[in-house]
Amino acid sequence: MNENIILLFYIIPLLVGTAFMTRAGDAMGVSLAGRYPTLVNRRRRHLLGLNIVTLVGFAISVHTLWITNKISEGGEVCSSATVFSCDDVLGNASYNVDPIFGISWGLIGMFAFGTFLFLANSVSKDPDARWSGQYMKWGFYLTASGLLVIALLVSYEIEMEKICQYCTTAHVANVIAMYGFWRASKMHEDGEWKDEEPSSS
Amino acid sequence: MKQDTEADVRTDTAVKILALFFVAIIFLAFTTSPIKTGTKEGERAPPLEGMMYNGSGWTQFDMNDYMTTNWTVGDANGEWLVVEFMDTDCTFCLRDADEFGQVADYFMKISKDADGTPAWNGPVVNFVASATELDIQGHETSREEIISFRDKTGDSSCAGSSCSSRNGEPHNFIYVDDIDQENMQDWKIPGTPSYFIIQPDGIVAWVHSEHPQEKVSDGLFRIFNEQGLMPDE
Repeated sequence: MNENIILLFYIIPLLVGTAFMTRAGDAMGVSLAGRYPTLVNRRRRHLLGLNIVTLVGFAISVHTLWITNKISEGGEVCSSATVFSCDDVLGNASYNVDPIFGISWGLIGMFAFGTFLFLANSVSKDPDARWSGQYMKWGFYLTASGLLVIALLVSYEIEMEKICQYCTTAHVANVIAMYGFWRASKMHEDGEWKDEEPSSS
Repeated sequence: MKQDTEADVRTDTAVKILALFFVAIIFLAFTTSPIKTGTKEGERAPPLEGMMYNGSGWTQFDMNDYMTTNWTVGDANGEWLVVEFMDTDCTFCLRDADEFGQVADYFMKISKDADGTPAWNGPVVNFVASATELDIQGHETSREEIISFRDKTGDSSCAGSSCSSRNGEPHNFIYVDDIDQENMQDWKIPGTPSYFIIQPDGIVAWVHSEHPQEKVSDGLFRIFNEQGLMPDE
C-alpha cells in the first residue's frame, strides 16, 4: 500500500483527537453520549482527545523508526522524486540520529510520546488526583521543549530540500499535544476541571 | 479503611505504557534488521557526495547513483565501488598513484588483452578518489591541483614537485572535490591514503585498515572468490 495512504491512518485519528479537544468535539461528544455517557463532559472529551493524539504520536514514531531500519537494510519505503520523500530524510545518515548520542529520531519520538501518553493516561484515570494539575503542566513543558527539537529537524529538512511527511505528522502531533496539555492546565486553573459541568458549546 | 489509590493508577498506567513500548520494540526486532551506518566491514557506507572531475569537467557526484539497493550476494551484475581517500600533497598517495591507476584500469575493464577483450571479465568495479586537503602545513590543494594530479597536466605542485611528473599514467577514474573534508569527516578517515571496497548494495566489504597486509586488488580478488564472482578461466 502507498505510504501516503498509510499516513492517513494516522492523520484521521489525529484529527479526531484534535476535534475532541476543541469546540468541534462538543457535537461529537453529545452524539456519542448515548453510547459513551462520560463524553458528555468536556473534561473527559478533552482527555480522550489528548490520549488519542499522544497515542498517534507514539505509533507514528514507531513507524518512523521502522522506515529508518528498512532504509538501512537497503530498501525503499517512501522514496519520491518530489520534495515529499521520507526515504531521503530518514535515510540520510548525517541527520537521522541525534547529534549527541547518535540515537535514531524515531526511538526518541517513542520515548517522548510514551511519556506524554503516560501523563495523559494517568490524569484520565484519576483526573481529580492532587497531582493531575502538575502532570498537565509537565506535559506542557515537555511538549514545548519538543519545539526546539522540531526546529532542529525542520532545519535539516530545509538543508536537504526534502520533507519527511511521517516526521512532520509526528511534529504536528507534538504541537497538538502541547495545546492539549496547556488547555487542560488552564481548565484546571480556571475551575472547569470537573465532570459535573454541563457541556459548553 | 483508607487507601491511597493514586500510586496504583500511575503504576498501572506506567506498566501499560511500558508493555506498549516493548510490543513496539519486539515488532521492530522481528520485522527489521537495521544495518549501522559506518566504515567498518559489514556496515552501510556513509554518503559520498560532491563535485567530481571525470576528465572533461566538474559535475555533481552522488555515490548512491552507483548503488543497486536490491543486489544480493553472488549477483554478478552489480557494480562494485572502490573508494580512495587521498590528498594531492600526500607522499604516500603519490607513491601509490601508479599502482592504483593500473588496478583501476584493470577492474574498470580499460586494460585490454591482446585480442582486444577486457583483461578483467568479472563484475564491473568503479573507482573514485575523494581528494581532500589535510590539515598539515604545505598541504594546500585546489581543483586545479586535483586535475593536475589526475591528468598529469599543468604546473601545479604536489608534495613539492610537479604533479605532472608523478609516477604512472594519467588516471581514468573520477576525482571528487573534498577539499572541505566533508566526506572525510563523514567517513572518519584518520589519514591518507585510505581504501574501501563497497558492495553494489552500499555495504562496506573491505577496509584497508582492517587488512593492512592486503592491497586493493588482493581484497577484490579474495572477495570475488569468496562470493563466487571470479570469471571462468
